[in-house]
Amino acid sequence: MAVTQLTRRAAGRADHPPPGRARRFWTIARRDALVGYLFVAPQLAGSALFVLLPLGLVGWYSLQEWNVLAGTFEFVGGDNYAKLLADANLRSVLTASALFSAGLVVLNLSLALTLAVLLNQRLRGTTLFRTLFFSPVLVSLVAWTIVWQFLLQKDGGVNGLLAVAGVEGPNWLRGEATAMLSVVVVQVIKNVGLNMVLFLAALQGVPRQLYEAAQLDGAGAWRRFRSVTVPLISPTILLTSIITVVGSLQVFAQIAVLTQGGPGTSTTVLVYYLYQQAFQFRHFGYGATLSVLLFVIVAALTLLQWRLRRRWVFHES
Amino acid sequence: MKAPGKLAALSLAALLVATACGGGGGGGAPAASGPKPLRMTVWTTTEAHLKLFDEIAEEYRKTHPDVGKITFDPIPFESYTTTLTTQIAGGKAPDLAWILESSAPDFVSSGALAPLKSKIENVSELIPTATRLWEKDGELYAYPFSTSPFGVFVNNDLVKAAGQKTPRELIKAGQWNWERAAAVNAAAAAKSGKSGLVIVNFDYKAWDNLATVWGGWGAKAWSDDGATCAFNGPEMTEAMTFLHKSIFTDKAMPGPGTTADFFAGDATMAVAQISRAALLKDATFDWDLVALPAGPKGPYAVIGQAGIGVLKKSPNAGPAADFLAYFTSTANSAKLAAYFPPPRRSQLTADTLAKTNPLLKPDQLQQVVIDGIAKGVVKPSHTGQAELAQTVRAALDPLWKPGADVKAVLDGVCAKIQPMLGA
Amino acid sequence: MSRRVRLTLYGLLCVLCVPFVFPTWWMVTSSVKPISDVFAFPPALLPRRWDLSPYRQVFELQPFTQQYVNSLYIAALVTVGTMAVAAMAGYAFARIRFPGQNALFVLVLIGLLIPSEVTIVPLFQMFHGAGLSDTHWPLILVPVLGAPSVLATFIMRQFFIALPGELEEAARVDGLGRFGTFYRVALPLARPALGAVAIFTFLHSWNLYLEPIVYLSTPSRFTLPQALTQFVDNYGWPLWNVQLAAATMTALPILVVFVLAQRQFIEGLAHTGLKG
Repeated sequence: MAVTQLTRRAAGRADHPPPGRARRFWTIARRDALVGYLFVAPQLAGSALFVLLPLGLVGWYSLQEWNVLAGTFEFVGGDNYAKLLADANLRSVLTASALFSAGLVVLNLSLALTLAVLLNQRLRGTTLFRTLFFSPVLVSLVAWTIVWQFLLQKDGGVNGLLAVAGVEGPNWLRGEATAMLSVVVVQVIKNVGLNMVLFLAALQGVPRQLYEAAQLDGAGAWRRFRSVTVPLISPTILLTSIITVVGSLQVFAQIAVLTQGGPGTSTTVLVYYLYQQAFQFRHFGYGATLSVLLFVIVAALTLLQWRLRRRWVFHES
Repeated sequence: MKAPGKLAALSLAALLVATACGGGGGGGAPAASGPKPLRMTVWTTTEAHLKLFDEIAEEYRKTHPDVGKITFDPIPFESYTTTLTTQIAGGKAPDLAWILESSAPDFVSSGALAPLKSKIENVSELIPTATRLWEKDGELYAYPFSTSPFGVFVNNDLVKAAGQKTPRELIKAGQWNWERAAAVNAAAAAKSGKSGLVIVNFDYKAWDNLATVWGGWGAKAWSDDGATCAFNGPEMTEAMTFLHKSIFTDKAMPGPGTTADFFAGDATMAVAQISRAALLKDATFDWDLVALPAGPKGPYAVIGQAGIGVLKKSPNAGPAADFLAYFTSTANSAKLAAYFPPPRRSQLTADTLAKTNPLLKPDQLQQVVIDGIAKGVVKPSHTGQAELAQTVRAALDPLWKPGADVKAVLDGVCAKIQPMLGA
Repeated sequence: MSRRVRLTLYGLLCVLCVPFVFPTWWMVTSSVKPISDVFAFPPALLPRRWDLSPYRQVFELQPFTQQYVNSLYIAALVTVGTMAVAAMAGYAFARIRFPGQNALFVLVLIGLLIPSEVTIVPLFQMFHGAGLSDTHWPLILVPVLGAPSVLATFIMRQFFIALPGELEEAARVDGLGRFGTFYRVALPLARPALGAVAIFTFLHSWNLYLEPIVYLSTPSRFTLPQALTQFVDNYGWPLWNVQLAAATMTALPILVVFVLAQRQFIEGLAHTGLKG
């Protein structure tokens, strides 16, 4: 990134108009700025129309009470927020979300990194394994969850495999702990391939000489991994962790298919709860309030990660 | 195992909310001059059903040139109610709609439906158990065109293989009760390695289907006025204790997380609505259909229902109600009886029904259908059913494991839903 | 690397890949089993009896070919559109200086933080109000311009930031304007990053489930993931083997394309600039 800084500064200098033409209105800098605005215009218009406006509307709806069948829509001020604070389910919903997200992020990142390190060895056939680990990414989410729903039944494929190994498997989706574990693992297997490939690319960018130098200094494999690999790929770790955290808070379809929030409310995460309230129970105003809460949480977490990056992300400018 | 459909339903509900907001409660399409078209939403996609509807509609238009094309608009069953509500709220309301029993209280109490009592032909002939759900303050808001009792389908091969008496033999001996049913199923399941009795659609989630069992104990989900939770009453506690024992101790019913398709021959018995008999057309085993076993409170019956209502918001509500009167007249009701058990007393005879239900024998029709409709109670329903159903589902989950404390779980259910019932 | 270490590594990789491969394997093999064998325990690795009728039913029960075409053309349009929008925006944010640049970039980044569930309802209202519900427009416009394209813009920006400036300098000295520089010099260099964006975007569109279900109500306009859940009997009960057959037909072509093109695919990802 240091290189980047230099090039940008160089580019900046070049943009200064030559002395003789400074009086003309359409200086290179101005023309550049115009092109810049034109280039970002579609994205900006899209953001305004399809991101910011709907977000504002959600905020507005959270102040309304709305009855579908009777067709009434009335302003209730902070009532929905008062309901949020008093909601007896909220604690378990937030706990489930935290467990799910933490489990998912930790498992996903560590598995992705492990797989990437394994595949980064000089070994024949890594291309084949890379393909296999990546393949679930390509299977449609709906098909994936339908299949896992079969596999996780008491007499399903997972327990069938375990039985071959002489282990009697639990009733995965009916126990509180195993249900949470199941939805986390199903999601990790589906998507870990993406992070794995990103890590693999980062690992291949680490110069071999650094490892050789560390080896000469007497560093063992673990030590080399910690002191050379991790710092050098830390920007990738940051980015993947942000994407994974944000993604983990959006997981809905898997839970709807696999557990429907159960058993009890053990896997009712925030997005699923939002769905139930707004779409299933038709408490739309309250659903919008939960959407606002979800947005605040996602934004806060991302900001926190971005702040923390200075602490541990190496060579970030 | 209906989860993908459930997912579709959930997401479709997004559509509902969205359109309702945008639509702001406007009416349907502006009434054009000339013949007015009518639209009825239905959840059947069976061609034979739709063909019959079209025939009735054609006949009607011959005498009513003011009515334009009458369309029957099939919506997938799993997402039916949410899609329908969406259309209503989004200003695309149908003129007539099939309505499921579980959403009956919401529709009837919200005032979304037009009154029908003065329209329906020979309304006094309708059986009270069939109309109760669709009435408010003495007015009728939907015609209960399909009133389908629950019965027990039996795989006689599996029963006999275990050396057990068939339910029909038990009925003759006056011994067809839940205790015996559980014993037969436990023995048959142990012998065959397949499943015992399956409550179709329950899957440890759709608990309202358990009404087919707890009815035998006289248990109720909530009081008749809907204001008081009855899950922790003594009847319910006994019924649930029986269920728990049958599942986890006697293994007479498949436990949670096990799929057993009776109609493919994987289970000994199945509690289901009689319309499922159609799935046994190509069955390779000897099957029977009998009434629900008696419980400690004696014999009882449970019915599932569907009504047809006229949407008050429709600009063609008048003509729509007239068409509904024709559609459900005594003559047409007899035609519809081919697929949908009628609510008209005069048509509930084994002879009428036998003509149109070739898979069922007259005594099966008499015992299960006719007697069932006469004394049947409907599955529990309440305003705000979706939220109640979900809350009860979550609160009942701790029951579905060995060694559960039945009474404590049921107390927990009431603690959760009583505030919602009171509201 | 010693033989022992190598064998251990192979063993480890083989065990690890079981949960990645088994579900797909099971899906494909179960789709050609009779329905009673689908539920057999323990599950058989190979079908003992074959039943191909579900594959016929897929086409009888739904306008599956049309749905396939829908999914394909929507994904193709979204992919091309996103590449254009993201390449331009990413380039401008990385290489062009204009007032308010950083503030605008942060504004755009908000889209990265918003789960689609949060804004789906107001979005539906807007499209419904514009008379575009039950059309494919929302499935194309929102991904190309809205929140889903922000990640693509971000990837492109990261790539262009890391691109050495000298090439562009030369181009500008040669008299190419800003647009010429972008189109003739920067864009061809960005091919790997564009490839990655194309892959991400195509998969995202291909797998989109919530949005089609919200916006579309006519079966002939459905997309594939949506169609998958519609294979039910008259009682709303899922036709499992038909669903599995349809799922197999949606997944297999993508898997095959991936296997054939996987070198470019992964190398594209490797050059996204995401590696920091």
